[in-house]
Amino acid sequence: MHILLIEDDIEAARFLIKGLRDSGYTVDHVASGQEGLARALAGRFDLIVTDRMLPHLDGLAIIRHLRGAGLTTPVLVLSALGTVDDRIRGLKAGGDDYLTKPFAFDELLARIEALLRRHASGAGTTRLKVADLEFDLLERRVTRGGREIDLTSRELRLLEFLMRRAGQVVTRTMLLEGVWDLHFDPQSNLVDVHISRLRQAVDRGSDRPLIHTVRGSGYVLREES
Amino acid sequence: MRKPWGRDLFHTTAFRMSMGYTFLVTLAVGVTLGSTYLLTQSIIQGNTDLIIDTELDSLENQYVRRGIPGVTDEINVRIDSWGRIGAVYMLAGPSFTRLAGNVTNWPFDGAPAERWPEFRIESIEPGQRSVHPVRAGVRRLPNGDWLLVGTDMSQDRRYSRIFQIATLWGMGLSIAVAAVAGFAFSFRLTRRLGDVTETCVRIMAGELGHRLPVGGASDEFDALAVSVNHVLDRLEEQTRTLRATFDSVAHDLRAPLHRLRTRMDAVLRLPGLEPGIREPVESSLKEVDRLQRTLATLLQIALAESGAPLASVVSVDLSELAAELVELFEPVARERGQTLTGNTDPGVGVLGNRQLLAQLITNLVENALKYVPADGRIEVGVRRLHDGIRLTVSDNGPGMPLEERSRAGQPFARIGQREGSGGGLGLSLVAAIARLHRAQLTLENNDPGLRVVVDFPAART
Repeated sequence: MHILLIEDDIEAARFLIKGLRDSGYTVDHVASGQEGLARALAGRFDLIVTDRMLPHLDGLAIIRHLRGAGLTTPVLVLSALGTVDDRIRGLKAGGDDYLTKPFAFDELLARIEALLRRHASGAGTTRLKVADLEFDLLERRVTRGGREIDLTSRELRLLEFLMRRAGQVVTRTMLLEGVWDLHFDPQSNLVDVHISRLRQAVDRGSDRPLIHTVRGSGYVLREES
Repeated sequence: MRKPWGRDLFHTTAFRMSMGYTFLVTLAVGVTLGSTYLLTQSIIQGNTDLIIDTELDSLENQYVRRGIPGVTDEINVRIDSWGRIGAVYMLAGPSFTRLAGNVTNWPFDGAPAERWPEFRIESIEPGQRSVHPVRAGVRRLPNGDWLLVGTDMSQDRRYSRIFQIATLWGMGLSIAVAAVAGFAFSFRLTRRLGDVTETCVRIMAGELGHRLPVGGASDEFDALAVSVNHVLDRLEEQTRTLRATFDSVAHDLRAPLHRLRTRMDAVLRLPGLEPGIREPVESSLKEVDRLQRTLATLLQIALAESGAPLASVVSVDLSELAAELVELFEPVARERGQTLTGNTDPGVGVLGNRQLLAQLITNLVENALKYVPADGRIEVGVRRLHDGIRLTVSDNGPGMPLEERSRAGQPFARIGQREGSGGGLGLSLVAAIARLHRAQLTLENNDPGLRVVVDFPAART
């Protein structure tokens, strides 16, 4: 997987490049907006990660140029501007995801993975299946090993989010934003409480649990082999 | 577009002005027509009186020249020529017995006191019964006889009634015309001023790009629009500058924090890291994250307090949002043994930023969750009041002393002694978000417990 990183903060970029390469990605880095745009238009990248505030040509302008030129490569915006309005403007401009600095490196990895997968897989499925857990998206029915599981609509949304990203690490922030549309950090253990309730419903009595906690970053739904 | 009706046309200055205008027109028309009427009336009366006087003079003259027989003759001649058109003559003895004339009985009780006495007479012409008002003049002849000359006034009275009716119609019509014109005028005025008001409301709601329409008429409304637009240009420019300054401050604070965090992340990713190094780095990382959260809250408060208008304002269904958040936090409360319930009027909307409103409710709910003991109750309410919208978060926890409650609305006021995590900023952020939405924040004694009340102005859509 080939990632273009546009970031003028050289030191921050150096650590990002190393981390991403360690995680198995190929990374090209440029430090200016114009150069970034030129490279993005010329090369074939699977993902573009751009800082929002760049001298001369900022990140949002780059996205507008790319989209204007018909390029659909997913773009992840990194930004020091973190108010709710900033995020909304960033996403409105055509960014696929928006991450406020400073962020945990695991958060960045989880989001990159999500963007790459989303781009690869179609959204037209009507059934999700992980091991013996099945989700009928049309009838909103969930079964585990053929036995029906009774879930509230809120729990169904959470489970759908996890199943669509089966095998990927999903962070708390991704859940807050993606499932509940909350673009700020609550003080309470909101996410953990909801996950633990879902876990109760899905994994109770099973010797092969599907929902796992990833220490320090979030959760993952997968079949452990 | 808001209709001028929507704002109660009857309460507008334009409407009051046009009502005053209608009143003045009515007064002017009334005075004109009324004085014309009175003037005409007095001219007609004057003419009648003059004729009566002349007739009396002429008959008196006959008496002087030919005595009573001359007067009687003359009366009969005149009755023949003028009787049909309403002339009334009578010669009566000193005790008012009829001697000659076309009136059968002396119409008065003795000699009348008035100069122009009036009386009624039953049909002068035979075969037609009708009552006629007669205006008369009476004179005493030197021999003690009484001479009466009168004129049938029914024709004049009919004219004056027609005139009265015409006057009333004229006044009625001019009131109607003035009222319609005034109404149209006030409607137009209200609509143009309504445009100004509406634009100002939109701008206050954050749509800074809006400008007043300038028609090509170069009238006083255009002059007003141009001036207001100038002010708006300045305001937009200032907001942009403020935003840019704010952005660079946020950047300058976050960039070093970001580098620090990235470096620590890199250390943690080193293979074979000793626990003696990993643990302090991990706990430092937690502090960085806490610092970052406090910074985010501070920046949000500072932005809200800076006076920059809200961006991305939409109509938010506050009932739905509150109910959603209650449902979301209910399991958290249950896990702590607390009860969280919602009590919301359906479909209550406010103009604002959905995320910030969600954050406001979340902060209040989490604050209550933190302070209310196990088995405590928390209720989130949304009510439509007659002049606004009220959001309440009430609990039966330990409450808050009055001194702290009154301080709570102030920016950056730290309420309650809590350790770390910027928790004390929670209510300051609530106050800032409330202010951004022009809402009033009050903390009340719930007896027992705390009730936080946020009063939003009624949404005008």
